[in-house]
Amino acid sequence: MSELIVRGARKAYGATVALSRGDLHLKPGEVHVLIGSNGSGKSTLCKIVAGSVKPDAGEVLLDGKPVTIDGPRAARALGIGIFYQELSLAARRTVAENILLPAMPVKGGIFVDRTELEERTARIIAEFQDVAGEGFAADVTVDRLRADQRQLVEIMKALATDAPILIFDEPTSALDRAQVDRFFEILRRLKQEGRAMVFISHRMDEIFSIGDRVTVIRDGATVASSAIAETNADEVIRQMVGEREALSAESKPPVPAAAGEPMLSVANLNGAGFRDVSFTVGKGEILGFGGLHGQGQSSVLRAIFGALAHNAGTIEVHGKACAARSPAEAIRNGIAYVSGDRGRDGTLTGRPILENVTPIHFLRNRSHLARPGALATLADGPLKALKTKFQDIGQPVNSLSGGNQQKVVIARWLIDRPAILLLDDPTKGIDLAAKSDLFQLIRSLAAEGMGIALYSSEDAELLANADRILVFNSGVVTRELQGEDRTRYNLYHAAYEAA
Amino acid sequence: MSNAATQTNTGGLGRLIRRYPFLPALIILVLLLALNGIFEPRSLSFRSMTGLISTYLALMMLSVAQTYVVFSGDIDLSAGSIVSLVNVSVIVLMQKWGGDGFSVIAACLVGALIGLACGLINGIVVAGLRLQAIVATFATSIFFTGLALTVLPVAGTPAPEAYWTTYGGRFLGIPFVFYAVAAVAILLAILMRMRLTTQMLAVGDDQQAAFQSGLPVTAIRIKGYVFCGLFAALAALCITGDTASGDPLVGGKMTLYSVAAVVLGGSALAGGFGTVTGSLIGALIIGLINALVFFVGTPSEWQNFVQGLAILLALMTGILVSRGARA
Repeated sequence: MSELIVRGARKAYGATVALSRGDLHLKPGEVHVLIGSNGSGKSTLCKIVAGSVKPDAGEVLLDGKPVTIDGPRAARALGIGIFYQELSLAARRTVAENILLPAMPVKGGIFVDRTELEERTARIIAEFQDVAGEGFAADVTVDRLRADQRQLVEIMKALATDAPILIFDEPTSALDRAQVDRFFEILRRLKQEGRAMVFISHRMDEIFSIGDRVTVIRDGATVASSAIAETNADEVIRQMVGEREALSAESKPPVPAAAGEPMLSVANLNGAGFRDVSFTVGKGEILGFGGLHGQGQSSVLRAIFGALAHNAGTIEVHGKACAARSPAEAIRNGIAYVSGDRGRDGTLTGRPILENVTPIHFLRNRSHLARPGALATLADGPLKALKTKFQDIGQPVNSLSGGNQQKVVIARWLIDRPAILLLDDPTKGIDLAAKSDLFQLIRSLAAEGMGIALYSSEDAELLANADRILVFNSGVVTRELQGEDRTRYNLYHAAYEAA
Repeated sequence: MSNAATQTNTGGLGRLIRRYPFLPALIILVLLLALNGIFEPRSLSFRSMTGLISTYLALMMLSVAQTYVVFSGDIDLSAGSIVSLVNVSVIVLMQKWGGDGFSVIAACLVGALIGLACGLINGIVVAGLRLQAIVATFATSIFFTGLALTVLPVAGTPAPEAYWTTYGGRFLGIPFVFYAVAAVAILLAILMRMRLTTQMLAVGDDQQAAFQSGLPVTAIRIKGYVFCGLFAALAALCITGDTASGDPLVGGKMTLYSVAAVVLGGSALAGGFGTVTGSLIGALIIGLINALVFFVGTPSEWQNFVQGLAILLALMTGILVSRGARA
């Protein structure tokens, strides 16, 4: 079985150094956790090992022998399989074709061996039986699947390589608990088989439940590596953030703010994926949406924002009916929406930061002419307030790390303050430092009188930041947790019980 | 969540279109056949059908050619000029070699090789050198047309009798073009099962994802252009049989028709989705529209106008049908 050592890997894109000194020592039969804030270089290190990024310097040793990995094909030949954080799926191909795309079985040298394809994929899919969810099948095209199901396909694709070395770059970010549990069972079995696995996740509980060893990367350099048994979450976080002040967001619950006048009232809202949802968000309140992933939380937020149709029920903003049929209408009514799916809902990929911060300003003011100088000044304030790291406001937004991209997306709502802020799992794929910045901001926005609805797939985040929590189960609100009731136990209990 | 919702809401027609993306095109085709039949009942006769196919077999072939580059998200604006180059080359060779049966076959083989070579050049220029497909193949189209003009500067050299009598003739009472159609159908059925087709579609779907999956993206795109060149050569052999003469500019106008046929057939011009069958139907739709414009007695100065409008209508119908099925 394979042992992989990376020494002094370095990669720069122009002036931006993505990885300055990446070290990794991966042993057979271990799950090796790679942790670090977003933009610290974890993904770059993984991609170097997987051959999709060519390093500028450094060496890779496989079983003690130096190797050059000059492409994904070479990596596969060396026995390295990878789960890509941004997924590597062909949307119009079927699940089966995607799983075996890297090594499509052939007969007669050139023809796809459909029988073999079906048999092999059926075996892999069977591993995720009962947790893959409705509509998941070998012959369904990937564009018909939900985000969590697509992530499962990417996991299956990595597993199908049968490689002795497997890299999982944030494989669990969209999965629900049952799916994660099943995935971990498989990882444990592969560990027994002596395979070596790299695992990246931002969820501490996952890291400590599956990891054997943890390597911490900070600002592009490997700073520490220790056995999981000999460390703890606090120490890992300290290593991740370096000298910065200890993070608060996860630990102490907020002082429940006295909710003011209702800003947003929703009554008996029905739509695809949710029914009979009623709630109010008061001035200065943060209302949390909890429960397992994909129980209708997102859909309710998107319906309020006008991005998803609802077929019954009322939505009132400041006591005024506001059933927005399009996001533009919702925005003009003072509703803001920030999604964790930045690629789909947030960033204008490839466009400058400036253009990514200003679209809402243009919409709300109905302006048609742009004066870049004035706009840059306008954009600067919110970007600074969020501690966004960038070199030039004209650089493309996708040259930033995930956390900084999300800050740019949030900044666009802060030029003209909305009355209501809808947060749809806003911290997905964001590092702990950026999360902490984000929640500080959210709290201060609430203190200024904004009404905020927050859905988070991380229970700790919700418990630490929401004044009240509505627990969703199969599209309906099954429980409301207030004050002392906001405990992990209550949240789990309500989320897991049958609706 | 929203995806799950569309899944359950989609009706039977939606499922059918997902399985057979060329269904809207097929509906349009049947509609056009019916219209043709109404305005000119004789147009539905076996004879007229044979005529229609022998005229549009070349465009059908060229649409197939175009489909293989469109699969991987590319485009070939030189497809028509490859037709011209192969057409004049074959004509000149057959004349030079005497025009008997053997020389005809030899010239056809050389024509196919020229098509392959042109495709290879396009592939290397676009995928190997990473030039923009539209501009690069536009440039090679001028280059290929230039070559065609040096091979045969003026249109007119006739094809040997053996050639066009075969193309327009019958075997065992069945017109030759039907054998050609059957042969192509078998060939396409084989190609459809190839791993390469799946790989081309994966590349067209998301090039980065395909690269990260370990697919040889450049090689796959080059192969697409080589297929395109080969089928363009076949198109040239058909057009040589239909017109029975050489013309260095014969294919130029066909290029964009072939692109239109691909789109009419339900393929995505951005790549990653489509069928060759659809493109064949698309080419027939264009042929039937031209026939219909003639049958309804459009004055000659209005023919282009009506033809353009009809193609637009066909495109819209196709989109409306598939959108209606998705909602």
